Amino acid sequence: MATTACFIIVSRNDIPIYEAEVGSAVKREDVAHLHQFILHAAQDIVQDLAWTTSAMFLKAIDRFNDLVVSVYVTAGHTRLMLLHDSRNDDGIKSFFQEVHELYIKIILNPLYLPGSRITSSHFDTKVRALARKYL
Amino acid sequence: MDPARTPLGRMLLDEITPVVMVLRTPLVEEACGKNGLSFVEMLSPFCSFSNIDVPVRTASDQPYRLQKFKLRLFYSSDIRQPDVQVANERLKDVITQAGEKDLSNLSSELPQVDELLSSSESDIMPSWFQFFNKELIRTMSFSDHEAFDHPVACLLVVSSKDEQPINRFVDLFNSDQLPSLLNDGAMDPKILKLYLIVHDNQDGAPEKAKKFHNEMRSTFGSNSSQLLCINSSQGGLVEHLQNPWAPFKTDASPTQRLGGFLNIDDFNEIKKLTQDLASKHVIPYMEEKVRVLNQQVSATRKGFKNQIKNLWWRKGKEDTPDASNGPVYTFSSIESQIRVLGDYAFMLRDYELALSNYRLISTDYKLDKAWKRYAGVQEMMGLTFFMLDQSRKEAEYCMENAFNTYLKTGPTGQQNATRSGLWWVEMLKTRDQFKEAAGVYFRISGEEPLHSAVMLEQASYCYLLSKPPMLRKFGFHLILSGNQYKKSDQIKHAIRTYRRSISVLKGTTWSYIQDHVHFHIGQWYSFLGLYDSAVSHLLEVLSCGHQSKTTQEFFLKIFLQTVQKTGKACQVMRLPLPVINSSSLKVVFEDHRTYASPAATGVRESLWQSLEEEIVPSLPAARANWLEVQSNFTSKPNKNSNMCIVGEAIKVAIEFQNPLQISIPLSDVSLMCELCARSDDADSEANSLTAELQNDEATMLTTDRFLNSDMSSFALSNVELTLEGGGRKMVQLTVTPRVEGTLKIVGVKWKFSSSVVGFHNFVTGSVKKIQKGGKKNKQSPADSLKFDVVKTVPRLEGFIQSLPEKVYAGELQQLTLELNNKSHLSVKNLKMKISHPRYLNIGNQRNLNMDYPACLEKKTNSAEKTILEPHTINAPRNVFLFPEDTVVQGDTSFLWPLWLHAAAPGKVSLYIILYYEIENPESFMKYRTLRMLYNLEIFPSLDVSFQISACPSTLEEFLVRMDIANKTSTRNFQIHQLSSIGYQWEISLLQPTDSIYASPTLMSGQAFSCYLILKKSKRLDRAEANGSPVCSLTVSDIQLSTEGAGGKMYDSSLSPVKDFHNVERLQHGKSLEGDSNMVDFVLIYWPLDSETDPGVSDRPSLFSHHECHCSVASTSPISWVVEGPRLIHHDFSTSFCEVTLKMALYNSADAAASVRINTLDLSRNGDAQSRDESTLASGKQAGWYNVSLDSEIKVTSDVSGIQMKPLSSDSASPFVWTGSSSTKVRLPPLSTLGIPLQICVFSPGTYDLSNYILQWSLVLPDDQGNHGETRPSSGTCQGYSYFLTVLQST
Repeated sequence: MATTACFIIVSRNDIPIYEAEVGSAVKREDVAHLHQFILHAAQDIVQDLAWTTSAMFLKAIDRFNDLVVSVYVTAGHTRLMLLHDSRNDDGIKSFFQEVHELYIKIILNPLYLPGSRITSSHFDTKVRALARKYL
Repeated sequence: MDPARTPLGRMLLDEITPVVMVLRTPLVEEACGKNGLSFVEMLSPFCSFSNIDVPVRTASDQPYRLQKFKLRLFYSSDIRQPDVQVANERLKDVITQAGEKDLSNLSSELPQVDELLSSSESDIMPSWFQFFNKELIRTMSFSDHEAFDHPVACLLVVSSKDEQPINRFVDLFNSDQLPSLLNDGAMDPKILKLYLIVHDNQDGAPEKAKKFHNEMRSTFGSNSSQLLCINSSQGGLVEHLQNPWAPFKTDASPTQRLGGFLNIDDFNEIKKLTQDLASKHVIPYMEEKVRVLNQQVSATRKGFKNQIKNLWWRKGKEDTPDASNGPVYTFSSIESQIRVLGDYAFMLRDYELALSNYRLISTDYKLDKAWKRYAGVQEMMGLTFFMLDQSRKEAEYCMENAFNTYLKTGPTGQQNATRSGLWWVEMLKTRDQFKEAAGVYFRISGEEPLHSAVMLEQASYCYLLSKPPMLRKFGFHLILSGNQYKKSDQIKHAIRTYRRSISVLKGTTWSYIQDHVHFHIGQWYSFLGLYDSAVSHLLEVLSCGHQSKTTQEFFLKIFLQTVQKTGKACQVMRLPLPVINSSSLKVVFEDHRTYASPAATGVRESLWQSLEEEIVPSLPAARANWLEVQSNFTSKPNKNSNMCIVGEAIKVAIEFQNPLQISIPLSDVSLMCELCARSDDADSEANSLTAELQNDEATMLTTDRFLNSDMSSFALSNVELTLEGGGRKMVQLTVTPRVEGTLKIVGVKWKFSSSVVGFHNFVTGSVKKIQKGGKKNKQSPADSLKFDVVKTVPRLEGFIQSLPEKVYAGELQQLTLELNNKSHLSVKNLKMKISHPRYLNIGNQRNLNMDYPACLEKKTNSAEKTILEPHTINAPRNVFLFPEDTVVQGDTSFLWPLWLHAAAPGKVSLYIILYYEIENPESFMKYRTLRMLYNLEIFPSLDVSFQISACPSTLEEFLVRMDIANKTSTRNFQIHQLSSIGYQWEISLLQPTDSIYASPTLMSGQAFSCYLILKKSKRLDRAEANGSPVCSLTVSDIQLSTEGAGGKMYDSSLSPVKDFHNVERLQHGKSLEGDSNMVDFVLIYWPLDSETDPGVSDRPSLFSHHECHCSVASTSPISWVVEGPRLIHHDFSTSFCEVTLKMALYNSADAAASVRINTLDLSRNGDAQSRDESTLASGKQAGWYNVSLDSEIKVTSDVSGIQMKPLSSDSASPFVWTGSSSTKVRLPPLSTLGIPLQICVFSPGTYDLSNYILQWSLVLPDDQGNHGETRPSSGTCQGYSYFLTVLQST
């Protein structure tokens, strides 16, 4: 499992709707903003890349020092972004695919307003379990 | 585009030019120093030629002409690798100076993103970047691995004042001050030498100098000797319109006059000198050198044979262990010569020649593993490709290769890498590849903080300039750069970069980013002492609910420290702590409506209004005719605004919310109000104020006014509270106007941590709502906060004394309503209405001083039945009018009794409205209402049910089963008395009291049943004599307990019980006009023990349970009984036996009935009887059977039922009905009729005479045909069992 991994879901209007530090490293307060900065900046690249390919998984698209950003763009242009320091493309791909399924279930919930924050604790537990499994 | 015109091209033409080494004597410097310049500085402006127009012929035979050219002059002492430390210091100075210059902009408005995007590159980028980059590149000059910095020529300068100038020339060159490049053999020491003698005209005429010049010509050759005369101006006051030295002297103070002694002749002479230097000496020399070198290279390296040889030779060398930097090449080695050839060709713009030589040498260096040299050559190849404007890919490849190779060579290579990186960046920028350029900037950012800060900032601008602009990357790199600036103590630059990034990151919902940026800017501002700006940024991070608790505390601490440092009371328009829930704003004010308790204000207005309808005089009805109409209305000054009264508080409730996990203390929470005393100019002032409120700045001004305004015209309440982490609290604030006028509630203010004052403006906070509600013409929120304050009017305060919150069902309590009039005026015409008369009823003034519950006891203990007066069962009045003479004087209180009856378990809200009129006719208001709300929780106590069934043995007697269960968990009850209320019904016990119920006490959870008999009263006649039999209700009581109240009975017909009973009847029944088949029961009991629950009243009280409309006629209105002998002795030997029976019919309905009795044959008897039995059996299962029969008979009937079956199967009918088989009679209402019946019995035995059918139908008058009653109007009944035993007489 990766020592550092920050997973974030960004809605189509660039608002983070779910955030989780899923790395095995002890969570540090002072890097939270750095992770956000890297992921936030990486969106500039996603914006360009997303239209050049039909694949949803965009692989590692950006890097900052030894941290890599992998992105998965859903059909509705919700971006699942993972900041990680391990090189495990297959695992990340499966992780994204399963989280995508979870996300679809969230969207199907009639009480969930698309684009709003995901507060479901069930979703959170599942995502963390997936992270342990694949990353 | 011409590569030479691009920024990189210009830079290269500037930087990669021939170097001329200058050697001079101190007297030369002295002469030049008069102008504030050194010798090199004096000449430098004239060393770049824009139109030199020199023909050049290098390796090829085609000559071409050079137009632009430049020479670089350096003192010999400067021709060495600059010290890194010194260079860094110089760079730092550059940055610090730039930072100081920017200080003025720190607090100014920043350009928005759109502006940034639309402006050009040079506008956005700070100008000192160019300078910084140039300086950075210069720190890498005079390296031994590249030849373009090696001096091409040497200029020896001697002053005419020097003694023996010719000898001085020789001395100058021979001294050991020559640069190491020449000494250690990196370059050819035999370089072009030029001799110059400088004459200062102030020292006299130039004859002496001319003499020396002639001497030099003879010694060194006429070509290489020159004479320069300077300082021709005597006064030293020559003004130069465009001072050519200004750009070269950065640190010159403005008072110093540069070149003051140089006049136009001197200018021309210097120009001529430098032009000669370039065109007649340097360029021809270089041409010559290029040609020579080219021939050498061609001879040794060109051609197939040479290549093979070279390859072989190099292969052989591979085995030798190399030095880390490859072999040492001296100037005479062929590799160095090729490099010199390439560089000279480059400087002479023969790029083709340069490229071919670079290519040639690069493979050699690579094979020799001379990495630094290899990288240098790659770098030059890249630049040559660029200048040739061909093969972009290759150019980039070369630059990248050079960059990486430099990095490979270790720490010394880092700086070279930076230089090549900068060139590479420029190359990419020229080709609009900004994104890649930014990447390169990022790669050369390096370790050193200041250096990397500048590089990162440049990278960020590249992202901004890229197409499409990458704004987020821009912001991120600005932040990174700001971070590095901070590390190197360049706080001003740090703030500048962070502030720039705000324009991009503003409005983002990425919370950590927001917090990081604002917090750091705030902190840095406070380092600089700009506390106001610091506070404004720190405000942004205060509501950081997503951060951890420690971070929140830290932010808060820094914020408060900063606020303290500002040293003044901080007033903040939009303090984000705590969060104010604007939608929770609730204003409670009292005009003619007044409220007794805060709870009463929470009730919907419509509910009160529906209750008020009957009490309050409606306006249209009040006006007598339409002519005198408007006088009433005109007195209302402003219909839109609300009304309130002097001295009466307006309550405002608003919710405060704490987004943090730490608790925050708030003090001095109060409203901001404004009261204009009523006068003529009040309106205009108010208008101007509302106009002012349009923008925020004005609001700030007005808020200042609120702080300073005197509080004489109104009083405000102050609240202090602590909001727990994550908590929310409703805060009640009041304002009490003291004079008449217009009051406006503007907002709320509070003091946070006793240092920061926050404001919240109600109106601006809800501007959107106004626009939305515009169509509906709804009252805008602004209006709801505006009040007309009117003159004081009396106000009643009312409450109910000792009303319990929790009671047990059935409890009957006496309460007192207390009204206080605090004003001096009296009020009259009191009216009152209660929403639930079932629970709360208004008593009589008489009750006030009576001893309860003793007052309810019967005066005599006689069994005399009380007959309720007919008029008392009127519908309970909706509105209670207090006696007309009731006047509540000023400063007095007024008491009135109330009765509480907890009728049914559950939670009840009792709404009480009291209406009163004000006696003073001049008063603005005619009346006011007092609204009271009490919530009552009623627990179940006793569960009582009654079941009534007809008694089969006797007419007009009914059996009543009363089931009582104690539903409470703790309390015990003593059953005291049961009263029946109905038309001529009389209740009695089935058996005497003491025999059955030793103790009618119900412990908690206990249940018991008892049986009673309900009879028609014998007083029927007397009631009929009164002429109104239907309307008279009889009360009959029985005492169920012998203990307790000393055998006293309570009178159910007395006021509170009677009233509540009537209400109960209304509650359950369809009409009060009950019919005679209905009976009501009232059970009276009281709690036995004194151990009471907290909160439940423990005053002496009675409990009463009312069960209404128990129907007596349960199945049909017709009842009958068969009368006759039960046992007959008869001698069957003589004849059959004839038995005569009588059937008594009773019609309990109030309509005439027609009854038909059909006797049946025995053949259907079996069938009928079994059905009869089954009904009998089912009746038994329900535990509800005919108790009046003896148990003996019951047994018989069971036995006979079994016996009858064989009888019916084998024999003919044992008896037959004689007489008429069908009888039809008409039964008048409420009457009894006897019908004779007869049977013949043929043999002895026991017979069941139930085989008849009774059909009845009510003859209803036409108008009552569909009365809505659910009771059937006709029916068929099976006969009752009647057992007759006939015995053979002996």
